Amino acid sequence: MKFFRAVIGAALLVACIDQTASAATGNVLFNGTITATCTITINSNGTMTVSTNLQSLSSHNAGGSAGSAQVDTTGGVTLSVDPVTTTTVPASDVTATTWTPTFATSGAQTIAETGTATALTVPGTSTVAVNLAGTKGGSNRFSAGNYQATVTLRCE
Amino acid sequence: MRKIGTLAAALAAVLSPIAATGQSMTPMRGEVRSFTDAFAVRVFPGNPYDQRIRVEVHVYDQDFQPVAARITPSAFLLAGQASRPVLVVVPFDGATERKVRICTESIPFPSEQTQIRAQICGKFFGHRRS
Repeated sequence: MKFFRAVIGAALLVACIDQTASAATGNVLFNGTITATCTITINSNGTMTVSTNLQSLSSHNAGGSAGSAQVDTTGGVTLSVDPVTTTTVPASDVTATTWTPTFATSGAQTIAETGTATALTVPGTSTVAVNLAGTKGGSNRFSAGNYQATVTLRCE
Repeated sequence: MRKIGTLAAALAAVLSPIAATGQSMTPMRGEVRSFTDAFAVRVFPGNPYDQRIRVEVHVYDQDFQPVAARITPSAFLLAGQASRPVLVVVPFDGATERKVRICTESIPFPSEQTQIRAQICGKFFGHRRS
């Protein structure tokens, strides 16, 4: 009996030696959806200087500087500037001023200076230069004092 | 019942996006179905700066005219690198659908000649189900 059990056991072991472990495989799917995102970080505000004929107060003039902002986006958004509505002018300035905000980008996407809404299609970080120009027509001139204007940079 | 419907719409809107660190506002797109006379969207304004800033949330229509929406909270101080949820409830005003922009605005740094106001606007589409 003992011999018979040993033979059966040995036979089973021999039968199992050549067997590979069977394994089932399956695929695990991962899905991800990225919606459009946009972050604006203001690096610096701008400075306007007056032209020699006193009819232009602009960040483009000598000594002036553009405001700077950084835009991080996935793309699929639009960048724009709003017409300037908030200004502070000296009391001595009683004549009308036409304010023209513009922007240009470099970095992930290059946009030449424009005042119209432009699509940001390239994902990444772009640096935005924001300029503002105030102009007076006819015989009107900018006067001494403090001027201040707010430009809204929009990403949507 | 109306509140429950609004809350359900808000939850539906908030479940789809995942707030990510450093975003000025997320989500920026959304479509909400509501069984009530208003639809709700939860947005997450974020502060990408290291210092605390003041943030305001506004709702505009397609022509950038203000919409009388309920914004909770509409203005707040936000710590550096932080974000927080803001619940916006937009009335349909009798319409069956409504497109709005929900905008997060940062208050510009003072005492500079040309200030830049950063505005991140998301576009949201509400459908009213009867």
